[in-house]
Amino acid sequence: MDEAGTIAGWAAPSYQTAAAGEEGFRRLYDATSRPLWGYLHHASGRADVADDLLQETYCRFLARRAPAMDGAQVKSYLFRIATNLLHDRYRNRDEMAGREPDECCVARDEDARLDVRAAMRQLKPRERELLWLAYVEGMSHTEIATATGLSALSIRMLLYRARRKAAQILRPQET
Amino acid sequence: MSMKQMGCEHENRVLRAMRSGKWSAELRQHAAGCADCSEAMRVAEALQAEARHSEMQCHPPDAHWILERSRRLAREAAVRRMSRLLKAMRILAAIYAMAAGVWLTRGYAALPYREIASSFHGPSSHFMLLGAIVTAAFASAGLWPILREDGKRHGFDSGR
Repeated sequence: MDEAGTIAGWAAPSYQTAAAGEEGFRRLYDATSRPLWGYLHHASGRADVADDLLQETYCRFLARRAPAMDGAQVKSYLFRIATNLLHDRYRNRDEMAGREPDECCVARDEDARLDVRAAMRQLKPRERELLWLAYVEGMSHTEIATATGLSALSIRMLLYRARRKAAQILRPQET
Repeated sequence: MSMKQMGCEHENRVLRAMRSGKWSAELRQHAAGCADCSEAMRVAEALQAEARHSEMQCHPPDAHWILERSRRLAREAAVRRMSRLLKAMRILAAIYAMAAGVWLTRGYAALPYREIASSFHGPSSHFMLLGAIVTAAFASAGLWPILREDGKRHGFDSGR
């Protein structure tokens, strides 16, 4: 079963029964937790924050008992919860603004990956989020708008600027 | 900045083809010659390589653990909601008890209650007495666990 099928399977009414719910949730979690962790990790720049927010995202998702959604909607919904939690973290704690990303993000890695991570660190949180959602998760502008709470019309412009900035940062190190 | 200047209109198609591996000859030719699409591909490739590596570092907790945590949080939220309700009920009960006390000492004292009470006799007085006893019993049964819980919380229960 592909990822969309897995997620849609979980969102079906079979979740109403506890056993089916647990098994369905496990499939959903297996299909989405790693991409979601990657997003949280690179948007926040810290693995411990990503660990924390990953758990919080799924707890909120389960608590809200969202209405029936298809696979793409469930995925967008999860990323939206994660993005809101990230923004809450940015607002409530200045620890993320002032501190450098953790060790795993800056050391003992190949040059290319170091370049990417260094570039990500130089981008604003919003730019990191947009780039990750568009180029790693392959979301459309509408899906990104849903996940980030921005207007769909502004996504194109913000994404273009973020991509230009990322490319500028990556360019000198590639030659 | 106009919309025309913000990237190439084929960028999304190029990125989709890049993800799926399904390239048309025309699109491949365009991507090779378009500066915007080439740049988007370069950024996307770098980020996707980083994402693949990042997934290897990820060790998410077991789904069962997340479910258990979610259920525990839901129970705690339900307890908090019920506690708020009980607190509101206690406040209302205290207000009611004070109002009843004032009425009994001031308003009821002014009534010719001796005359009223003396008008009840025989079966009527028995029923009144029985009703009062039953009411007091039920009120005590309801109040007892709440008062005991309050006593424990405020340390009045020195047994433990």
